[in-house]
Amino acid sequence: MDLLLDGFQTALTPGNLLFAAIGVLLGTAVGVLPGIGPAMTLALLLPVTYTVGADSAIIMFAGIYYGGMYGGSTTSILLNTPGESSSVITAIEGNKMAKAGRAAQALATAAIGSFVAGTIATVALWIVAPTVADLVVTLGSPSYFALMLLALFAVTAVLGASKLRGFIALFLGLTIGLVGTSTGQARLTFGNPLLADGIDIVVVAVAVFAIGEALWVAAHLRRKPLEIIPVGQPWMSREDWRRSWKPWLRGTAYGFPFGALPAGGAEIPTFLSYATEKKLSKHPEEFGHGAIEGVAGPEAANNASAAGTLVPLLALGLPTTATAAIMLVALQGYGFNTGPTLMDEHPDLVWALLASLLVANCLLLLINLPMAPIWARLLRIPRPYLYAGILFFASLGAYSVNFQAFDLALLLAIGLLGFAMRRFGIPVLPLIIGVILGPKLEEQLGTALKISQGDVSTLWSEPVAVAVYAVMALLLLAMAVAGLRGRDSGPAGPTDTRGSDERELVER
Amino acid sequence: MNATGGTIVVAYSADRFGDAALEHGVALARRDGGRLVVVNATAGTSLVDARFAHDAEISALRERIEGDGVEVVVRHDVVDDVAEAVVGVADEEDAGVIVVGVRHRTAVGKLLLGSVAQRIILDARCPVLAVKPADRLT
Amino acid sequence: MSTTTTPTTTPVAPTLVDRAQYGLAAFLVVVGTYVGYDAWTLEAGFSDQPVQPYAIPYVVAAGLVVLGLLLAVATARGDRPEAEDGEDVDLSQGTDVRTVALLAGVLVANIALIDLLGWAITGALLFAGAAFALGSRTWVRDLAVGTALSVATWYGFYVGLGIPIPAGVLDGVL
Repeated sequence: MDLLLDGFQTALTPGNLLFAAIGVLLGTAVGVLPGIGPAMTLALLLPVTYTVGADSAIIMFAGIYYGGMYGGSTTSILLNTPGESSSVITAIEGNKMAKAGRAAQALATAAIGSFVAGTIATVALWIVAPTVADLVVTLGSPSYFALMLLALFAVTAVLGASKLRGFIALFLGLTIGLVGTSTGQARLTFGNPLLADGIDIVVVAVAVFAIGEALWVAAHLRRKPLEIIPVGQPWMSREDWRRSWKPWLRGTAYGFPFGALPAGGAEIPTFLSYATEKKLSKHPEEFGHGAIEGVAGPEAANNASAAGTLVPLLALGLPTTATAAIMLVALQGYGFNTGPTLMDEHPDLVWALLASLLVANCLLLLINLPMAPIWARLLRIPRPYLYAGILFFASLGAYSVNFQAFDLALLLAIGLLGFAMRRFGIPVLPLIIGVILGPKLEEQLGTALKISQGDVSTLWSEPVAVAVYAVMALLLLAMAVAGLRGRDSGPAGPTDTRGSDERELVER
Repeated sequence: MNATGGTIVVAYSADRFGDAALEHGVALARRDGGRLVVVNATAGTSLVDARFAHDAEISALRERIEGDGVEVVVRHDVVDDVAEAVVGVADEEDAGVIVVGVRHRTAVGKLLLGSVAQRIILDARCPVLAVKPADRLT
Repeated sequence: MSTTTTPTTTPVAPTLVDRAQYGLAAFLVVVGTYVGYDAWTLEAGFSDQPVQPYAIPYVVAAGLVVLGLLLAVATARGDRPEAEDGEDVDLSQGTDVRTVALLAGVLVANIALIDLLGWAITGALLFAGAAFALGSRTWVRDLAVGTALSVATWYGFYVGLGIPIPAGVLDGVL
C-alpha cells in the first residue's frame, strides 16, 4: 500500500503528469490515424525516451498504450475500419449504431466503458501482479526457462490463424537474436565488427513495425475516401446507461484474465463478451443493427485485457502483445533486469507505472469525451505526408542510436523483411518476441545447467517446470485434435470456435 | 461559345460552396434548357475527404435535380487531380460553361494549398461562372 | 512482378498456388543452412559454458530448414497466405510495386548520402522523396515541410535531448 502511494506521488508530479498527458494525447492521435498503432509509436519513440527518466518514459508509454486503444475504437465506430482484430466487434456494432444516428452514444459507451474497465483492471493489476511476481521469484532457473518456452509457444501457436507462419516468424526472430558475440564467439556477424554487439533491438522494432508497415500500406493504399459519420459531443441517455453498465462489468471480467494469460490476447474476450451480451440481452434483435450492449461489452473487454497483459510483462518479463514487447525493450534499454525480480529491484518504477495507468485512464476520459470531433479531423491529413513522416522518424530513430549509416541499411533490410512478412501473412509479434526472448532463453538455460553442472535432467527437476511442460503438451494435443476434427467437420477447441464466430460476424 | 442550351458542368464539393455552385447551375439549366454534368471528385490522398460526397448524398442530389425537371449526369470519381478532372469533363462534354464555388482564403492558406477553383478558372477552355454562397460570409 | 491473387478474379480455383511463397520457403532453407554452417565453424565453449555456443544455433537452423520445407509442401497443397489487412489497406488491388520500389530507392539514397550531407539535408530529401513516391505532386511544399522537419528534429535532438546528430556537410552552419 505504501508502495502504491509512493507510486502515485511519482506519477502525480507535474512533470510526470505532463508526460502522461502527452502520452494520452499522442496515443489517441495515433490510434485515430490510419496506419499507425501504439506499437509503432512506441517503437518510433524508443530512441528518444532514453534521454528522459525511466519513470517519465514508462508513464508516457502507459498513456500511449491506453490512448491508442481509445483512439482505435473511435475510428472503428465512425469509419468501420477495425485497426486490430480486437476492435472488429466495435467496428461492426458501433458503426451500425453510428449509421443509425447514434454515433454520440456509441462513442460515449466506448469511452466510459473503457474507463470503467481500465480502472477495475488496473486495480486488479495492483493485486495480481505483485502476487504472481512473489510466486515466480521463488522458482529456479529450470522453471523460469519452462515459463519462457511456454510464452514463446503460446504467442506463436495459439494466437494467429496459421501456426506454421507463427513458427516461421518465431524462428526468424530467434535467428536475429543469435547475431553477436554474447557467447564469446562471433555468431552470424559475417565478420562485420558493427554486428559484434548484435542487432540493436530498437532497430529491429522500428524496422518491423514502422518501415515494414509503411511499405505495406504504401503498396496497397486505399484510394477511395471512406464515408465518415459526422459526430458531435458524445453523450448517453439514462436508458443507455442502464443498458451499458452490466456489459461493462461483464466485459471487464472476461478481458482481464484473458489478458493476463500468456496467450490470452484481446480477441477472444471481445468475442466472448459479444456472444454473452447477445444471449443475455432483452433486445437480441438489435444485435447486428447497432445494439449498445454490443459496443459496451467488447470495448470493456478490450481495455481490461490490455491491462491484463501487463501482468505477465511486469511479473514475469514475458510480453504477449506487440505493445508490451516494446515496453519490455524500453525497460531493458534502461538496464533493468526484466523478469520476476523487476518488482523487487525497482518497486518505485513499477508502482509509478501502475499508478500512472489510473492517471492515464482518468485523463483519457477527461480529454476524449469533449474532443471526439477534433480527433475525427485528424483523418484529413494527406497520406503521402503521414507515411513519409513515418519513414522520416523511423530513419531518424534508427540513426540516432549509433549515428551509423549501417544501422539504416539494417533498418531497410529488416523493414523489407517486415514487408514480405505482411505479404505472406506471417505475424510480426512472434518475431519480435523471438528477438527479445531468444538470448534470454539461452542465458537462462546456461544458468540452469551451470547450477546442475551440466546435468540436463535439471530442466524437469522442479514441479512447476513439469507442470508447465504438461500444459504445453496439453495445448499441443488440443491443437492436434482441433486440427484433425476441423478438417472433417465443424469447429473444435477454443481457437477454432473463435475463427467461426469471426466468419459469422463478418459475413453478416 | 454559347452558354445557352449547351451542357453545364458544375464542380461540386460537399459543402456550402458546392451547394451554391449547384444551385446556380440548376438555375442556368432551367432558364436555358441545358443539361447538367455534376463533377464530384477527390484525389483520395486522405482517408476522409469531407468535400467528397457520400454515395447516398449523390443519389439524393440526383433525385432532387431530376425532380426540378433538369437532365443530370453525376461524375463521382477518384482522380489524380480534381481541377484537371473538371476541365477534362468540360472538354469531353463540349460544355458551354463551368460553374464553380469560390471562397476567401487566408494568406497562409494561399501559400500552402493550391486552389482547385483558381486552376479551373485559368485552365478551362470555356467560360467559368464563379459563385459564392448567398450569406456572403467567407 | 507480383503474384498477389485476388479472390474476385479467381472465384473457383481451389488448387491455385501462390508461387512467390516457394521463394519464401527457399529463403528459409537458405538462411537455416547458413545458420547451421555458421554454428559449425564455432569452437567449443569455455569449460564454464554448459551450453555450447553452437547448441542453440543448431536448433534454430534445423527449425528454419524444417519450416521452409513444410511451407513448400503446404504451398504445393494450395495453402495461400492471408495478407495482413489494416485500416488504410485496400487488398482488392495487387501490390503497387512501383511505389514500394521508389520508397526503397529513397531510403537507399538516404543511406548513401547521410554520412556526407548530414541528417538535416538527407532527412528533408527523404521526406520529400517519400511524399513524391506516395503520390504527392506539390514538391515545393513537400520540400519545405521536409526541411522544416529535418532541421527542427536536428536541433530538437541536439539541444532538447542532448543527442548530437552529426551535421555532415553543414557542420558549422547549423
